[in-house]
Amino acid sequence: AGRGRAVAGLSGLCLCLRERVRAMFYHAYEHYLESAFPYDELRPLTCDGQDTWGSFSLTLIDALDTLLILGNVSEFQRVVDVLQERVDFDIDVNASVFETNIRVVGGLLSAHLLSKKAGVEVEAGWPCSGPLLRMAEEAARKLLPAFQTPTGMPYGTVNLLHGVNPGETPVTCTAGIGTFIVEFATLSHLTGDPVFEDVARKALKALWKNRSDIGLVGNHIDVVTAKWVAQDAGIGAGVDSYFEYLVKGAILLQDKELMSMFLEYNEAIKNYTKFDDWYLWVQMYKGTVSMPVFQSLEAYWPGLQSLIGDVDNAMRTFLNYYTVWKQFGGLPEFYNIPQGYTVDKREGYPLRPELIESAMYLYRATRDPTLLELGRDAVESIEKISKVDCGFATIKDLRDHRLDNRMESFFLAETVKYLYLLFDPDNFIHNDGSVFDVVITPYGECILNAGGYVFNTEAHPIDPAALHCCRKRKEEQWEVEDLMREFYSLKRNKKFTFKRSSNHGGGESAKDPEDISSEKGGEKRNSKKRSHSLLSCPSQSFNSKLAVLGQVFLDNT
Amino acid sequence: MSVCGGSGPAAAPRLRPRAAQMARRPELLCGAAILLGCAFLVALKVTCSRAKDVTMPAKLPVNFFSTRSPVIDLFRGQLDYADHLRQDSEIVLYFFYAPWCGQSIAAREEIEHVASRLSDQVLFVAVNCWWNQGKCRKQKHFFYFPVIHLYHRSFGPIEYKGPMSAVYIEKFVRRVMTPLLYISSRSKLLDFLSNYEPGVLGYFEFNASPQPPGYLTFFTSALHSLKKDYLGTIRFGVITDKRIAEEISLLHSGSVYLHRHVNTSLVSIVFMLYQGSELNCDRYLILFHCSKYSLLFKNTFSQAILSHLPYSGFLPHNITFSHITKVALEYHKCNKSQAAEPDLQHLGDPDSPAFDYSVPDAHMKLSETFSITKYPCCNTVVLPQWHSISRTHNVCELCVNQTLGVKPNKVHVPHCNFLEIEAALDSFYLQEHTFFQVISNTIECSNFLSFYSPFSYYTACCRTVNRHFLSFISSEKTVFQTPEVAFSSHGKKDNTQNSIPHIEDRKYFIPDFRTSGTNITGLSCRTNKTLNLYLLDSNLFWIYAERLGASRSTHIKEFAAIVDLKEEVHYVLDQNQTLIGSTL
Repeated sequence: AGRGRAVAGLSGLCLCLRERVRAMFYHAYEHYLESAFPYDELRPLTCDGQDTWGSFSLTLIDALDTLLILGNVSEFQRVVDVLQERVDFDIDVNASVFETNIRVVGGLLSAHLLSKKAGVEVEAGWPCSGPLLRMAEEAARKLLPAFQTPTGMPYGTVNLLHGVNPGETPVTCTAGIGTFIVEFATLSHLTGDPVFEDVARKALKALWKNRSDIGLVGNHIDVVTAKWVAQDAGIGAGVDSYFEYLVKGAILLQDKELMSMFLEYNEAIKNYTKFDDWYLWVQMYKGTVSMPVFQSLEAYWPGLQSLIGDVDNAMRTFLNYYTVWKQFGGLPEFYNIPQGYTVDKREGYPLRPELIESAMYLYRATRDPTLLELGRDAVESIEKISKVDCGFATIKDLRDHRLDNRMESFFLAETVKYLYLLFDPDNFIHNDGSVFDVVITPYGECILNAGGYVFNTEAHPIDPAALHCCRKRKEEQWEVEDLMREFYSLKRNKKFTFKRSSNHGGGESAKDPEDISSEKGGEKRNSKKRSHSLLSCPSQSFNSKLAVLGQVFLDNT
Repeated sequence: MSVCGGSGPAAAPRLRPRAAQMARRPELLCGAAILLGCAFLVALKVTCSRAKDVTMPAKLPVNFFSTRSPVIDLFRGQLDYADHLRQDSEIVLYFFYAPWCGQSIAAREEIEHVASRLSDQVLFVAVNCWWNQGKCRKQKHFFYFPVIHLYHRSFGPIEYKGPMSAVYIEKFVRRVMTPLLYISSRSKLLDFLSNYEPGVLGYFEFNASPQPPGYLTFFTSALHSLKKDYLGTIRFGVITDKRIAEEISLLHSGSVYLHRHVNTSLVSIVFMLYQGSELNCDRYLILFHCSKYSLLFKNTFSQAILSHLPYSGFLPHNITFSHITKVALEYHKCNKSQAAEPDLQHLGDPDSPAFDYSVPDAHMKLSETFSITKYPCCNTVVLPQWHSISRTHNVCELCVNQTLGVKPNKVHVPHCNFLEIEAALDSFYLQEHTFFQVISNTIECSNFLSFYSPFSYYTACCRTVNRHFLSFISSEKTVFQTPEVAFSSHGKKDNTQNSIPHIEDRKYFIPDFRTSGTNITGLSCRTNKTLNLYLLDSNLFWIYAERLGASRSTHIKEFAAIVDLKEEVHYVLDQNQTLIGSTL
């Protein structure tokens, strides 16, 4: 029995809301170009620009692939040209290693991989070469000096021209160490230079080695001595994208090791931090609760749970978070769960995407109309509260909806993108593998754009198929061809396909995942590329059909 | 920032033309911004002092409802004025909203629709309860929006928690307006009693005084029940005619009769209202709720649940519904000696003794076999999100059994209060487990096995009633060892048809369900599995049906399917398929 798409009544809602999201995007985007470019960010109350994370025209880089998701090919092409001319990383700027990676490297990589789809003239070696890829590589190389530490864990800040400043603090947050594998592994696969993936893996392993006895990681660590400086363990700020990248890295690279790391963390998190489907902050060695707060950033967690197939728990946690949204019209940075109110000095809502991101993933998995309702609420709130003449302003205080003079670049990169994808069920991003492109590369024929996109933590989609396009060694290519042949002979046998892919699990997996996904279809995106054991997404139970409107129809025993 | 000559940020700003123009007369800006009340200007005023920390207060509240709307819009949150308004009207509906809230915005239209229909009898007041300068925000602390409160004179607030849809809201408002049904004739009494929802009847002699003793309590109790039961499932009726009252053995003015259809234990509780304290009365009514809800909530406990929204009142629907009910009853009837085929023509009959008869036996056995040491009240967790009120059958008795552990035939009121019920909840679940384990060996009338049993079947049927688009999904959960249990409940109705085709419907249904009745009677006893019946409002829960393969395009939201959870299959029933018996 096929699943209906949206509820009949809500499918109409979908499209009108989608168009409102589109209008939101252009309202902000055009004012950025008009008033703020080439600065990093728009200041919506004063209608001017400012540099925040460097000086890369950050909002433009970040918004680039959103343009394509909205279907604006011509503007995408124009911006690609503009960026190639203007953006320069040889500047004397202290930049956050983490932010530069996720926003700049991630944004450029996804733009590079999507550029052919957008009709940009690409050079002969694409996707293994190209101007945007070279820019991404250049930006990433500027970050590499930060990784030169005794532990392999990077410094938090690096000077793009001079490397790590003398006297730079060695304290880095956990997420600032473990949030590289998606971009860096992609870079290594595309360029053939393994150094990026190597440093990213080394940093991940260092964190893994330094987890506490009860299996938790803290908030900040000294990258020289490997001593935990902040010992609060949770899923939110300071840690969040580390967990996210374990899962996404595992999916992207078909890497069982990363997934087993995550699953072990997941157990510890459930054991020590989860209460009533809320996740609190605990002391990383003792497991005692240190802060009973919910952070806006934690709202990515249900989406991550849906990626590992834990949809029931994801839905429950999501509904908890949604009640906070209903109370304020946004998610405060900190929300005191027992008191049911905001935390002093943490009442702001900078239009973060996390809850909407989770809604998007969960909607792909469940088609539960509650998730569209969140989307509708988000559109209404953002338009009613934060829309100003020049764009959309950060909400400084959710208690009275005072606005701040800032529009973070993730608003266009993530918030708008996830909202649009939530309301646009036919977007190419949701491709289930039923269509794909075949490109000829110097290394042979290669399938691209078959779906299963992995979003980096700044919502830049990476096409996992591209990682298998740029192999240089002949024997590997033969291996691929052998496997292809084997695959086609067993085309209808999915299980076998999965087993085989697990045999070849690991970073150098030689199979072509797109063929599998083109076989499967229907299932939730991203989940389809797991091998059968650790990386497989458990198929949804039968009674999940009846789990809509935020509850399970039948209590399963 | 250069607007007012303050210190600028690192990045040189590009002024938009308007801002530049304003910059030429900053003194005006700095002085007059608040007076002008324009948010943009206020922002610029702040920039006068320190450009780095530009912030902007929230926009001032504006009208949420149009000025032509019948709804009074207190968009500045004037709660005091709202309270003042209440004195002028018998019925007041407050709509507390937040202007940014999507749900409030969606509900606005619905409220306006209801208001346009009821504005002559009900005062509709919308209050912005978000604006932090407003009284409402300062005094009330809501966790979600919108919140709808109703007042019946001084009684209230009664919060409406149902779906934000005009039909449902209107129905609820009407219930608040007239919480008591006036039973003026014998036929009305029969109508009242034949309804599937539980009911409470009071007999009051108005000849002696315009305000007979206990009447006010009774009236308030009816309103009270709406507080807990937003769909108004428990109906309250008032009888003024002595002869009619005698039909149900109400002899004295002030007597109250609690009625529950096809329920052995609570079928008739007559107590004297004015003799007991008022508190007591409330307590009885609460108990009544508690036991009723327990039925609702706990489907693990039940072998048969029919849940539906009380959007009845229309003959065709009633018939459809009653058929399903009877099928369910037949299915669970263990004592086959009774008439297998209910006389469906007598739908108006208040009680069908055939049903009542068999069940106590099962109970007797049950209570004999298992001495239950602990007696929680029928205590179950509500599934309030269903927005549906269920009518359960055998569950009820089991519930009472558990509660008292005495012979179920007796008329009694469970003596436990609300708190006890809550407290007993957990232990109750535990007890249930052990309870079921014991029973599974001795296959008594195993109605009580429900879905702790590993093989469970699930059936969903959805129905619509044509006029008013009132629709129902009925779903059945069956637990049969042999999978081919078939259940059919399907009648296609045309939206445009009027009452004459309804009669045809009726004819169509009757044979069907007769067969069904015969075939499945007692099935639940012969197998150790159970069948649960659910009726759901397909206006609200159509998505369930879609998940089971119902077509989205269909006009008529009727759907039936058997679902086997264990085997992960479900059988969708064809529209015209008649009911087949079990192949047991």
